[in-house]
Amino acid sequence: MAYEQVKVETPLILRVLPVASLLCFFAVWQGVVDFGIVPNSMLASPTQVAALFWEKLFVAEPDGATLLVHAYISIIEALTGFLLALAVGIPLGLLMGWFVLAEGLARPIFEMIRPIPPVAWIPLTIFWYGIGIPGKVFIIWLSGIVPCVINSYVGVRMTSPTLIQMARTYGATDWDIFKKICIPSALPMVFGAMTIAQAYCWTTLVGAEYLAADQGLGYLITMGRRLALPPMVLLGMICVGLTGVAIGVVIERIEKKLLAGIRR
Amino acid sequence: MTTAATGTSSIANEIQLEVRDRKPFSLKALLKNRWFLYTVSLTLFFGLWKYVDYTRVLGNGIAPPEKVVVAIWRLMTDTVAGKSLWGHTWASLNRILIGFAIASAIAVPLGILMALNRYVNAVVKPIFDLIKPMPPFAWISCAILWFGIGEPSKIFIIIIGTFVPCLLNAYMGIRLIEPQLYDVIRMLGGNRRDEILQVGFPAAFPAIFAGLQISLSIAWTCVLSAELVSARSGLGFIIIQGMQLARPDLVLAGMVVLAFWAWATTLIVTYLEKYLCPWKRETSLA
Repeated sequence: MAYEQVKVETPLILRVLPVASLLCFFAVWQGVVDFGIVPNSMLASPTQVAALFWEKLFVAEPDGATLLVHAYISIIEALTGFLLALAVGIPLGLLMGWFVLAEGLARPIFEMIRPIPPVAWIPLTIFWYGIGIPGKVFIIWLSGIVPCVINSYVGVRMTSPTLIQMARTYGATDWDIFKKICIPSALPMVFGAMTIAQAYCWTTLVGAEYLAADQGLGYLITMGRRLALPPMVLLGMICVGLTGVAIGVVIERIEKKLLAGIRR
Repeated sequence: MTTAATGTSSIANEIQLEVRDRKPFSLKALLKNRWFLYTVSLTLFFGLWKYVDYTRVLGNGIAPPEKVVVAIWRLMTDTVAGKSLWGHTWASLNRILIGFAIASAIAVPLGILMALNRYVNAVVKPIFDLIKPMPPFAWISCAILWFGIGEPSKIFIIIIGTFVPCLLNAYMGIRLIEPQLYDVIRMLGGNRRDEILQVGFPAAFPAIFAGLQISLSIAWTCVLSAELVSARSGLGFIIIQGMQLARPDLVLAGMVVLAFWAWATTLIVTYLEKYLCPWKRETSLA
């Protein structure tokens, strides 16, 4: 390494500033609500949200389920869609990257569907599946599959030509090259796809639950708005954010474990 | 096929031999022909679509391709809720342009500032990290509580949605500049200002543009979801109208037009990028 990592002591102020900034943020938020600058019908203070959080852990009213049930439903939907997207998207992308036949057949359809935002499918899925879980899983699957295919495709395409030519020289078949060279060399990109797809899936889930749901975190937010309960809206938003981060961290852990032996 | 027949090592003696061999027509060659495969693929796709409609597997939930084309044609000539297709497209596009312009005007400079100044970073980063993981849809309810169901709430959602990738990419773009580049400008006697203007901006430009590109596709998703929840104009309105009238051809027509415009705007940004920063090295994806 040409550049040595030099450990520099962070000045005190740089360690204090982030904390101070966060404290300020919450203080202003609390103050704005408490002193009535923003009416309570529009914004809830952090303490109200925290109180509701505690309450919602045990009480199912007024939206019909406790917080954990909402979170559970959302996670199940998101994970199902996500795993299906991985299961279909990654092999498809890998094949498209190496085999002309696969690319020729799949590419035009993929390119046609890609620019449509997944949310736009919601009305059609309601026609097809009603408002149950399959419809939402379908939309989440659609949003997750796009990054999976693109990343796996690019991963295979970025395989060093030298390696491929070397394998050809030694008489490897197309399938051998694909299996032993292209896939391993595409793996980092594929795992990158997992992270992106997870974020997409989670985002889309909330959108899907907005329009059609009877349980789930997105539904919690919608009900909060319909019942004009700002604390519930904010609670839903915070839970969505936190759960998304938690899933992201778990996937990153898995990725690190699996990628341990592969050079980036 | 061209082969170079080199008798000696001198390049001047190189003879270019044009060898054109007519390959016999074979299934194997046909299966490697991209254009043939594309045609097959599209034929299969539309055939399947038509077949699904024909067998009524999905009941009234799907319209055949030709009906969708007719629906698009009708939309262009007739009006839905007082606006033709152009009016609705413009309504959506207008929202995106306003939201996108505001978000990028704030987020890109802020991201650059955060990357350059660690005090700004220390103040803004924690709050940004707090807001970052919340999907833009989650803000729809808030936006409606705050701004009602009018135009401002839709623009607000687009701003929120596009803000994050704009800022993140500008920030990472500056942060991930190779230190060698800075060394060069320092060796040439540049000061901090030169470092930023001569190295920082040009090197971060591709990343910033990538952020804008991502933002744009997110903006389409945002405007659509906002319109699906509440609107009286826009492409999302056409789709939701089709859903309420139980007319899948209208829904599909809205989706096709939407896909076209999302694709067209992406293309415009791609060309803009090629024009504005020709030094971008990495090849774009797919």
